[in-house]
Order: sequence, then structure tokens, then C-alpha cells
Amino acid sequence: MTPIEKTDLLQGTLDMLILKVVALGPIHGYGISQRIHQISKEVLFVQQGSLYPALHRLEKRGLLTADWGESENGRQAKFYRLSAKGRRQLTAEEATWTRLAEAIQLILGAAPQEG
Amino acid sequence: MANRFGNRRDDDLDREISFHIEELTQANIAKGMTPSEARRQALIAFGGHEQTRQQIREVHSSAFFESLRFNLKAAIRFVRHAPSFSFAVILILAIAIGANSAVFSAIKAVILNPLPFPDGDQLVELNQHDIKNRDANRFVAPVRVEDWNRLNSTFQAISGYYLDDLSEVSGPLPEKVTECLVAPRFLQVLGVSPMLGRDFTPDEEHFGGPDAVLISYSYWQRRFHGDPSALTQKVHVGSYSYAIVGIMPASFRFPSAGVDLWSPSAPDAPYARRRDATWFTVIGRMKSNVTLEKAQSDLATVQNQLGRQFPKPDADLTVQSRPLKETVVGSVRGSLWLLYGSVSLLLLIACSNIAALLLARTADREHEIAVRFSLGAPRSAIVIQLLTEVFGLALCGSLLALVFVSAASRAFHLLATTLPRVEEISLNWKIVLYSLATTFVTTLLCGLFPAIRGTRRGLSHSLAQTGRTQVSSRSRIQWMLVGVQVTLAVTLLVGAGLLLRSLQELARVSCGFDSSHVLTFQISGSWGETTDMKGLIQRIDRTLDGLRSLPGVEATATAAALPGASYLYQVEFKIDGKVDPNRKFLADSRYVSAGYFDTIRIPLLVGEICKAQSATPEVLVNRSFANAYFDGGSPVGHQVQAVGYNDFAPAGQIRGVVGDAREEGLGSLPVPTVYSCFSAPTPFPNYLVRTQGTPLAMAEAVRRRVHELEPARSVYGISSLNQHLDDASAENRLRTILLTLFAGSALLLACVGLYGTLSYLGRIRQREVGVRLTLGALPHQIVTMFLYQGIRVTVVGCIAGLLLSLAGVRLLSDMLYGISPLDPETYASVLILIMLVATTASLIPAWRSSMAEPTQALRQE
Repeated sequence: MTPIEKTDLLQGTLDMLILKVVALGPIHGYGISQRIHQISKEVLFVQQGSLYPALHRLEKRGLLTADWGESENGRQAKFYRLSAKGRRQLTAEEATWTRLAEAIQLILGAAPQEG
Repeated sequence: MANRFGNRRDDDLDREISFHIEELTQANIAKGMTPSEARRQALIAFGGHEQTRQQIREVHSSAFFESLRFNLKAAIRFVRHAPSFSFAVILILAIAIGANSAVFSAIKAVILNPLPFPDGDQLVELNQHDIKNRDANRFVAPVRVEDWNRLNSTFQAISGYYLDDLSEVSGPLPEKVTECLVAPRFLQVLGVSPMLGRDFTPDEEHFGGPDAVLISYSYWQRRFHGDPSALTQKVHVGSYSYAIVGIMPASFRFPSAGVDLWSPSAPDAPYARRRDATWFTVIGRMKSNVTLEKAQSDLATVQNQLGRQFPKPDADLTVQSRPLKETVVGSVRGSLWLLYGSVSLLLLIACSNIAALLLARTADREHEIAVRFSLGAPRSAIVIQLLTEVFGLALCGSLLALVFVSAASRAFHLLATTLPRVEEISLNWKIVLYSLATTFVTTLLCGLFPAIRGTRRGLSHSLAQTGRTQVSSRSRIQWMLVGVQVTLAVTLLVGAGLLLRSLQELARVSCGFDSSHVLTFQISGSWGETTDMKGLIQRIDRTLDGLRSLPGVEATATAAALPGASYLYQVEFKIDGKVDPNRKFLADSRYVSAGYFDTIRIPLLVGEICKAQSATPEVLVNRSFANAYFDGGSPVGHQVQAVGYNDFAPAGQIRGVVGDAREEGLGSLPVPTVYSCFSAPTPFPNYLVRTQGTPLAMAEAVRRRVHELEPARSVYGISSLNQHLDDASAENRLRTILLTLFAGSALLLACVGLYGTLSYLGRIRQREVGVRLTLGALPHQIVTMFLYQGIRVTVVGCIAGLLLSLAGVRLLSDMLYGISPLDPETYASVLILIMLVATTASLIPAWRSSMAEPTQALRQE
């Protein structure tokens, strides 16, 4: 399957994905791009040019917090964590997304009318 | 900016990015690439390194200034696209903010600012009060001032003053000067030093010491043209010549702006030693950290002590103190707050008016807002942008308003001359700050609501529709705003209406005397002359006779106070030497010469007028006095005497009864009055001259005659009695005019709001109207439909306005004359007026909507 790049994602979706990945545990930028790639079974690929501005924006809005720590191979990396505000935002966005997806699914799954 | 302040952030950014590239490289190596190839691929995969950095930087730097610049640009674009709308908003705000700031500048200067003395809030005025004898005399004996000053523990110093109107005689013609005679420590109390020269020496403050005088800045300019050598000169006042020892700064105008000279009045002079010889108005400076209550109780202790030492008269006296500012500002406080309240209501009306306009405007811009939403702008950014636009307009408005305020402070100086401290009103940075703060509040008041409202619907909604079907909820808010405007306008109109009606009532009053053809003036004199009362009476009677013999003069008189201005000098009287234990014989005590009743034509009802020169004191009483205290019997021949004045006011025999006259001012009912026939109640009484022709045409002849009779005295304060009565009601009139002006503007604004809202609704509902017309509705049905909406909101506004007026009208009650604050006529006329005007304002847009071409309206779809 062709990877879907960020530009094809709906506005706001990238933020939700990032929040979701960070919610799994403290993680650095490289890790986030890898996880999105892996979890989506290599369908989604986030350009770094989109990832880092998004991370910084989320940090500025107080949804993420960040501090420096040691990566798994012993190097200094910037780790992101979800703030309480970020957790609330994520819950809200997940709910909206699920409703939207279900709605779309219903429409796409509608059987052609008889006659 | 990012470079200067964001170095650490840039380092972090570099580290974060290089960590990422490093990880990618490691991953590539793990896939089996050579290290250099791995790094190259990693860099390619990462994409534009510098571009990413720039993007991240933008995330951080977009803060305040970026968005401000953007929003201001948007605001300018907004003004350029809707110039007439913007102009209207700016103008409305300029007037509303300007009027508000102007009245505030007056309140600030007159009421809020401390007096222009160092630590002015520590200054108090002290009065003595004779409770037992109900003596209204509040002046204090010089010896008592010295006692208070010596015995208290809460004051830095206590002093006193009184005024004399004298003539300075070194020029070719005598010039009237006002001299303020001061007790020792006068400047010390006020905390002011002469600009040039020095304060009085202790020698000069004692009896028999050298005669010294301080002169005012304006007198220095007028008489000496600002020449410092004035300090070596003398002024010749009456029979004294004083050496000028100092010149006061221009800002020093205590106790009034008219004072030219200050000179010491020695407390140890022989005539000043009696404890019942009272003439000082007393001022004191409290020590810092002393409260008024503490000072008051301290003085009470002091006075108790004096009461034991000098039982008569000190045992009956109490001391009252009030802040000096109170005594200066006094009665105008109510008027000023009333005006401030009305201009604030006006500002609120303007705000709700503009809010309604903006609401319509944001609705028109729905598409633009939707596009910004879809481009990812957060709602707060859009709200801030909309607010910035309003703020831009409000700022322009407030700049215009400042021009208005500076003009207004000049107008205050010219028009409100009776306003105390008026010379201190000016446009200063505090007023500018106040205007700016008002601008902020105004922006929020009129901008926030439309902005929040206009951005409420999110992305999905607004791109799909162009807002036509969303009329109802928004228009409900708009109607509410119009209702608020009508409510406030009704309130202001009721206030203005009541004041106007009470002016009208005043004009209808019969005052009981004839003020036309009467010239009034004063002739300088000195309290020192009262040591020879016989000479003083002779001098004044001679002047009266001399004036009487001028051709064109019908009658002449003197009076301690002119009729028409409040004087209220209520005194308790004994009748035939007896005090009635059940009631007090209270009456206004007025001192007039025998010719007074002839001169201002107060009719004699019973008995006869006092003889011009009578050996025994004679009095006349008015009808109210006779009715109140003689129960229908004739008071003629009875004796009346003021209680507690045995020495100064001997018993007088009632010679006759005269008609009631509104001596206390046209707005006050006549009170029982005792007229003591005495031509010399003060050394400079008011002269009244009845003339055949225009009174002021006689001014020159009068002046010449006085100069012939008394070459060393000057004539001043020349005016007609009518003019004097007008001046007495100037504050009342100015207040009424201003409030009427505000109410008129409020009405206009409310109508504009009504008109604008209906026009807007007409436009929005064009299609609906088109459909209705096509389906056979008649134009007059359409007119009725719109008209009904306009009238409905007006009625609701009127009801709310009436309730608000009923709640607020108490504030007015002591400014009204002859009508009740609930005067039904006023309320009815306000309601009729507002219904008429509102109907007219609704009719035009309603009619225009009904004229829509059905086909054209439908085609717009």
C-alpha cells in the first residue's frame, strides 16, 4: 500500500496521532515518527518538516511537556510527555474522530436502494 | 527576535534535529549501508533542514507582536473597506468617550483631587456651634482660636481668616481690593510659602506691630506688572498703609480666587479680646496619621476645659470639624455625579449601539470568518482580530475625544464660573489614561459579544450556508441591544424632563418682589469701622440719601444679603421677652434698610414701614411669621428679640407686616422672616437702587455720585438684580441644559439603533419578503410586520426604562422644584416622545422593505 503522507491527512489529525503516541509513554521525536509508521503498518509516514513544528506547537499550547533525557542508546534526546490538558484534548479528539469515522462508515456501507 | 532571545531554544532545536538525523543514520547502517551513504540518506529523508528550523521558530515567535501587526493590518483593511461605517463608529465613540472624559476631568479636579495644598487631606474647617441657643453663627472669637491652637494635641496648627472688601487708594481712582485678614499661622496651616519675599514675622502678627501684607500673584501682575521691586513698596488701604512683605504664587487662591491681599489680624488687639466677638472662619492642619474623629474628640476635650474656665459663653459651645475640601466642594458634588452618571449611560447606549452594528457586520463577514477557520486559525485568534478592529476604531474615537475634552475644559472655565475649583480642571495625563481605559472597556463592551457570537459556528457549518436561515437567534440579540438603548434613553429623558419641568415651574413662580429695574452693587468698607457704629450708619445713610437724589432713581436701600440666593440664617426669637416652652419661634433674620420694601416692592400689609432713622430698633415681619406665631392676631406693637444675642441685637418693636417674598431663592417657599431695619449690618452691605430706566444704564451715574460722596471708596460688583437672580440659578440651568443634551443624544442613538437593526433585518429577510409578495401579501402587511417588531421592542424598552427611572429618580429629588420626582406629566410626555420617534425610525426601513421587487429579491438566491 502507498504510504499516506501528512499533507493528505485531515487538518488536526496529525496532532491527534502525536498525542496518542505520546500517551503510550515518554518518547522523543524520532521515536514518534517511527511508532506512527510502525503502528499504522507502514501506511502513515510523517514528514519531519511537519512533525517538529507540530510538536513544538503542542508543547506551546501546553498539551505536551518536554525535557531532556537519555535515549535507549545512551544519547541525549528531547522526550515528550502528555500533560493533563493534553490527555483531555486527546480524549475529546478521539471521541469526535470515532463518531466521524462511524458516520462515514455508515454512509459508505449503505446498500443501494431497491428499485 | 528569535536570534536575540532564542539562542538557547535554537541550540535545543539543533540538538533535537541532529539527534533525529543520527538515529536515522544508525537505522540505515543497521540496514547495511556504509556510514557515509547512511548519513546522506538520513539527510534526504529528513528533508529541508533549514526550512524545518524556520517553521519551528515561527511556532515560537508568532507571539504577541506578530499577531498584533497582523491584526492591526487587518484593522486598517477593515476601515478601508467600510469607511462610512467606520466613520460613524468613530464619531459616536468620540462623542461618548469625550463627554464621559470631560465630565470625569471635572469630577477629578473638583471632587477627587485633594486641595492644592501639600497634604491637603489633613486640612479641616472648624466651626463653633451653640446648641443650647440654636445660634447659627459659626464664626469663632480670635481668643478662642488661640486657645484651641494652644491646648489641642492633634493639630500641627490652627488659624483663621475673614474677608474685607476695601479700597486701595494710591492710584488716581480708588480700586476695590479684597483683603483676607488672617490669624497667626495662616500660611503654616496651609503649607504654602510666598513665591517672593517672606511670611509674616511674629512681631507683625501682634497688636501694635508693623503693618505688613502679602499680595496675590494676580494683584502683583495687575498693580505692579510683575515687578519684583513691589517688595519695597506699600499698599494704601483705607486709612492704613501696609508694607508688602511677600508675593504669593499664582496657584494660591485661598479662601477664594478674588483675594488680593492677606494681612494679619492680631488676636491680642483690644477689640479682639472678648470671647463673644466672633469673626474668624477657622482652619486647621491635623498632624499626620490623625483621623478626623480623633481630632474632633480632642477639640471637644479642649472646649470642655474652656467651658469650665469661661462658663459664659464657652460652656454652651461645641466644636464641629469637617474636611476643608467638603466646605469648598459642597453642593456641586451631587450635580457632578449626576452628570457623570448620565454620560456613562450615554456611553453604554453608544456601546450597545455599536455592538448591534458590529453584530450585523460580522454576520456579513461570515464567509471571511469561515475561510479563516478552514485555514486553521484558532477561534481565539479570530476573536482577537475582530476585537483589534474595534479597538482601532475606538482608539481613533478616543483620540478625537481628547480634542473634545481639551475644548470642554476651556468651556468649563468659561461657562461654569460658579463651579468651585473650576480653574483646576485641565487635560492632563491622568485624563488621557482615563480615556484610554474607557477605550479598552468600550472595546470589550461593544466588540467582545459580536466577536464571540460571530465566530460561534465552526468550520463545518459556515462554509455550507451563507447565514440566511440563521436570522432568528442573532436578531433576538440585536433586538435586546436595541431594547437596552431604548431603556437607557428613557431613563435619561425622564431625568432631563424632570429638570426641565422644574425650571418651567420656577419661571412660573411669583417671587413676591419685583426684581426688574433694580441695580445692585457694593461699596468698599472695613470691619474696623464697626468700632464706631454711629459713624458707620451715618456714612451709609448719607450715601443712600445721595443716591436717592440722583435723577432717574426711585428708591434706594441696603441689605445684608440680596434676595434670591440662599442665605438661611435661622434664628430663634423671643416674643415680648418670652420663650414658648412648647415651640420655638424660628425665623429667617434679615437686615435691611427701611427703604428695602419700597425698592424691591414688597407690599406692606398691616401697620407701617420702619422710620428711616429711629432711635429704637424697629422690625417688620412677613405674613408667614404673623400667621405662624400670632395665630391671626396682629403682631404690630409686639417686641421680638433674637435669643442669645443680647448685646448685638436688642429687642425690636414690630412696626408692620409685609408680604411673603421668596428671599431664599425662587425654589424655596417663603419662611417666617424678621426684617430688622438697620442700614449698616455690615460695612459693605449690598446696595439696591430702583431705577426708572434700564438699571445698568445708571451704573456710571451711581459710580460718579459715590465718588463725590466718598472719594476714598470704590464701587464694585455692579449688576442688576435680575442678573444676580440668574447667576444664582446658573448651576441649575447648566445642569439642566447638559442633561437635556445628553438625553437628546441618547434618543438619537437609540433611534439610529432601531433604524439600523430594522434596515439590516429588512435586507436579510429580503428573500422572505419577496416570497410573501409573490404569494400575494400586500405591501402594507409587510410594513405592519416590520413596524410591529420595532414597536414591540420599544414598548419593552419603555417599561424597563420606566422601572430604571423610578429606581434612580431619588438622586434627583433634591434638585427638583415644584414637581414630584414621579410627575406623571413628565413620564407621559417622555413615553409619547419616544414612541413617536421610534415609530418614525421604524417606519422608514419597514416601508423600504415592502417596496422590494419580488423578482429581484428571488433572483439573488
